[in-house]
Amino acid sequence: MASVAELRAAVDAALQQVSEGQAAIQAAREKLGEAQQSLAAALDGSSHDAVGAAHASLSQADQQLEECLSATLVAVEQAQTYTATL
Amino acid sequence: MSLLQELGAQLRAASDELPVGQVSVALEKLRSATEILAWLREESQDPMGVPQLGNATEHAERAAAALRIAQDAIATYLAAAGLAGETGAQPRQEWREALRPEPEQHGGGEQQRQPTGEALGPWWQQRVAELTGEPAPAEGETAEPTGKESGDSAELLRRVAAGVRAGDRSRLGRELHAVNASTGLGLAAVTPPVLHRLAGDLLGHEPRPEDVARLRTAAQGRVRALLPGTSPAVLETLIDRICRVPVRQEGRAPGHPADNAVTASVLTGVLLARLGRDAGSLDPDAPEPVRRDAEPGEKHR
Repeated sequence: MASVAELRAAVDAALQQVSEGQAAIQAAREKLGEAQQSLAAALDGSSHDAVGAAHASLSQADQQLEECLSATLVAVEQAQTYTATL
Repeated sequence: MSLLQELGAQLRAASDELPVGQVSVALEKLRSATEILAWLREESQDPMGVPQLGNATEHAERAAAALRIAQDAIATYLAAAGLAGETGAQPRQEWREALRPEPEQHGGGEQQRQPTGEALGPWWQQRVAELTGEPAPAEGETAEPTGKESGDSAELLRRVAAGVRAGDRSRLGRELHAVNASTGLGLAAVTPPVLHRLAGDLLGHEPRPEDVARLRTAAQGRVRALLPGTSPAVLETLIDRICRVPVRQEGRAPGHPADNAVTASVLTGVLLARLGRDAGSLDPDAPEPVRRDAEPGEKHR
C-alpha cells in the first residue's frame, strides 16, 4: 500500500463486502421470519420436543443475525472514522 | 394427499427454505472484509473495525449453526411422525446462493460499485502477477478477458475455472488481470460454499478433518503449477476450511487478501477438473450434478 488513495480504496473494498453481507443478513432475516410463521401455523398444537427445539433454534438464529448486523454497523463506523483521519 | 402427508410436505418446504445459503453468503462476505482490513492493520495501530467484524462473523456462524439445528429438529419431528420419507439427505445447495448475482441474492437494487477498483487496480495486478507469474498488461493496454467482461465475481470464477480446466496459465493470468480489485477480492466470498460442495462430491461424503490429506494430494500439484507464487500455507488454510478443521490462529500474520481469493478460485477449477465437470456447472441454475462415489484414485490414498 503506497498512497492514501490506495488505503482508502482498500477500506472501501472491505466496506463494500460488509455492505453486501449486511444485505444478505437482512434478506435472511426476512426469510427466517416467514419460515417461523409458516412453521408456527403448521405445528400449532404440537407439544413434541423437536418442535420446541426447532422454534427455539429459529429464534436464536434471528437474534444472532440481529447482533451480527449491529456489530457490522459499529465496524463500518470505525472503518469510516479511520479513513476520515487519513 | 392425506392431511398428514400435506403437513409433511409443508414442513419439508419450510425447512428447505430456511436461509442457510444467505447466512453463508453473509458469513463469507464478512470474512472477506475482515481479511482485507486485517491486512491493512499490519500498517496501522487503528482497529479499523476488525474486532467488531470478528464479532459479527461469530454471530453469523452461530446463526448458521442454529438454522442447521432447526433443520435437524424438523427432520426428527418428521421421522417421529412417520414422515421421514426420503433416504439420504439432499446435497447442500448453499453454493447456488453464493453464485447468484447480487440483485437476485438480496432482492434489492444494484449494489453501488465504488471506484475502488480504479485506485486498487495496480495493487491487484501486481499481486496477480506475483501469484501467476504472468505479467500485468502494459500501460494503456487492457487485458482481454476470454469471456464477457463483467464486474461479477461469480462470472469471474467461471472464467478462471475454464482457464484452469484448460491448464492455461496465461489465460488464467489474463482473466485475473482483466478485473478490478473489488471483483477479484469478491472471489474469496463466493468460493467457500462451492469448494465445500465440490470437495464433498469428489470425496463422496461431506468433507471432514481427516480428508485434508486426500484433498491436498488431489489439488496441490495443479494449484502449484498454475500459481507458482502462492504460499503452500494459503492452500492449506483453504483445505482446512473446506474440511471444517478448527482454525489455528497461532499468531499468523494476515496474508495478502488477493492470495486467498485467487488461490480459492484456482482450487475451484482444479476440483471441477478432477470431477470432469466444466465451468458451466458453476451456473447457479445448472442442473444438480450427479454425485458419485469417492474418486477411485482417492479411495486408496
